[in-house]
Amino acid sequence: MSAPDVTAESPVLLERRELLKRAAWLLGGAVSAPAALAILQGCSAKEGGGAPVATKILTAAQLALVAEIAEIMIPKTTTSGAKDAGVPVFIDSVLDAVYPKDAQDRFTAGLKEFDAAAKSSGKAFLEREPAERVAFVKQSLEAALAGERDPKPFILMTRELTLLGFFTSQVGISENMDYVPVPTVFHGCVPLTQMKKHVYWE
Amino acid sequence: METNSFDAIVVGSGMSGGWAAKELTEKGLKTLVLERGRMVKHGEYPTATKDPWDLPYGNRITQETRKQKYVWARTGYPTPANEHWMVNDLENPFVEEAPFDWLRGYHVGGRSLMWARQSYRFGPLDFEANAKEGVGIPWPVTYDEIAPWYDKAEIFAGISGSVEGLYQLPDGKYLPPHDLNCVEIDFKRRLDEKLGRKLIIGRCANLTAPLTHNESPQRGTCQARNMCIRGCPYGGYFSSVSATLPSAERTGNMTLLADQIVYELIYDNDKGKATGVRVLDANTGKQTDYFARIVFLCASALGSAYIMLNSTSSRFPNGFGNDSGELGHNIMDHNKPGSSNAGVEGYLDVAYTGRRPNGFYIPRYRNVGKDKRNYLRGFGYQGRASRAGYARFNDSAAIGEDLKKEFAEPGPWSIGMTAFGEILPHHDNHCRLDRDKKDKHGLPLMVLNAVVRENERKMEVDMKNDAAEMLEAAGFKDVKVRSDSYNVGNSIHESGTARMGSDPAKSVLNKFNQVHACKNVFVTDGSFMPSFGCQNPSLTYMAFTARAADHAVSELKKGNL
Repeated sequence: MSAPDVTAESPVLLERRELLKRAAWLLGGAVSAPAALAILQGCSAKEGGGAPVATKILTAAQLALVAEIAEIMIPKTTTSGAKDAGVPVFIDSVLDAVYPKDAQDRFTAGLKEFDAAAKSSGKAFLEREPAERVAFVKQSLEAALAGERDPKPFILMTRELTLLGFFTSQVGISENMDYVPVPTVFHGCVPLTQMKKHVYWE
Repeated sequence: METNSFDAIVVGSGMSGGWAAKELTEKGLKTLVLERGRMVKHGEYPTATKDPWDLPYGNRITQETRKQKYVWARTGYPTPANEHWMVNDLENPFVEEAPFDWLRGYHVGGRSLMWARQSYRFGPLDFEANAKEGVGIPWPVTYDEIAPWYDKAEIFAGISGSVEGLYQLPDGKYLPPHDLNCVEIDFKRRLDEKLGRKLIIGRCANLTAPLTHNESPQRGTCQARNMCIRGCPYGGYFSSVSATLPSAERTGNMTLLADQIVYELIYDNDKGKATGVRVLDANTGKQTDYFARIVFLCASALGSAYIMLNSTSSRFPNGFGNDSGELGHNIMDHNKPGSSNAGVEGYLDVAYTGRRPNGFYIPRYRNVGKDKRNYLRGFGYQGRASRAGYARFNDSAAIGEDLKKEFAEPGPWSIGMTAFGEILPHHDNHCRLDRDKKDKHGLPLMVLNAVVRENERKMEVDMKNDAAEMLEAAGFKDVKVRSDSYNVGNSIHESGTARMGSDPAKSVLNKFNQVHACKNVFVTDGSFMPSFGCQNPSLTYMAFTARAADHAVSELKKGNL
């Protein structure tokens, strides 16, 4: 699914149908419309009849922004992207349960700055054309990598969380690596040409 | 009273407790094994077969776990895949007069479930060092005396490794060695050529082939999953849960009780013997006495010292068997002041498959043969070479299709290794009880006070410089040596609290791990070590426990206990 043309206005002002469409997009289409609505309302919901999902730290608008950044870093192509892997909700859950309060605050503050920087340079991030968004993310990354990285800037926190979420997800692992739960034997020196995939999960 | 009486009581069910249970029950003794933590049976490993996507939060520990298991958390060991083996430090407090990483596992199997499985013999160099150098007290046991017990431990547990003929690291009875990977093979060759130092594959308690005996039908070979720390449903690595306790169980002579906190030895002044132990039920607080003809303390070096320090009587006002004043003193561990790493160019057309639960080992070479340093003893390195995974993208600017293309290839090679250095015994490195502070069971808190000292500090210089020298000699790039702040205990090898020796005025135990002043009590965990080498110690505890059990039964038969 291509990114819909979302505006920066508050989701509560949107039409319900539009809201649902957008929520399903945010979550990679893996969530039913009622579940997506529940998520946007900050309630618990069931994903595919499985574990409950709910945003804990990020607002729906913030989740939308994070989802778009993650998807730009790892887009859906012939293989799955960040949203397919459930990265947006993963990021929210890790921020909530794993990150200490100061890191949570740095993340949300950084996210606001990212949004504000986009606006002050012309247009809200989510209002921009896809190519412009990609360029903005790329530029943010390059600036962050060139600057002070301790504490980690927002864009690099997002990148780390995106990679972690993607490469601990079933689609991320199975589509990009040779995942062998029970290898039975270790071979210490194997030519890549003899490997099923060059990247072996470890 | 009758139902509370046994031939033997074993306190603790980990590395040494499991061996004591196996040996004593196989020799026909009705044996009670008491474990302070919960029951774990072989196969009951809740996360063992979980896929990565079934572990929460990308297998990162939560703030809540971090708070509860704060000692573990500061070491970086726990993850959602293994945190169920790590003690809740908040509920089990202790006092750190000096920072001490006391890393505990309160459950059947103890830390034998989470150990790193490295299994090395101590050699003549180690057993002779104290006597030759006038450090601490001499070992009362020679290498030749313990060697057959090492054989027994290796054969039963199943240790894989290579035969190398090194004086400082005697060979044992090994299953086939793991492969070194392509980079490690070259590192080995260059170290040998340029510096005359050996690199070998780690000797580890993973079954690279079937066991050479039929005593453990519940164990299969290692499946190269490298998820050992979760518990292995295949029985691919040695733990008391997978190996020794099932053997003890099969004799019909073992009674294993979980959730039973042994807090005191019962001493009979008239008989001059211990008659049993006092126990609190961890859940109900109910107090019970259990009785036996012999008691094996296998509760870990600090756990056993705790019980002995808490067992005071008119005969032993300063702690059980503590005529020497050495009980709780001379705590050792392995000093781990830094790790080193380097980038490796090339080798881009090769990788490895399977996940090796092992790494390489560079055995001690300092103060060996003609080498003489300005400090005593030495150190070894443990490490591995590997190709970088996706974390390498954390600090790259590649996005979109470009990034996805990079996903398809493994990252560059790098190599890393950590030095483990011998810590000398020092009387001031000690534990004791603070009777004014109590835990939730009303038991006094353990106070820990141990630091590294002059000899260790001098050795650290070589530990770091040599690492850089070796990595550079091998032609690796961007060599980095990191200084880590090390707390005693961090290597999870704490030991020495009831050292063995020939002189009862200077030691707590005799050469058969018997308390000098009360011969029917044996202490066979890390407590007994008078010095500590730089090798991982578990195999040595197995060997000494088996030997002590043999002696105990023989003495019982002679009517000496």
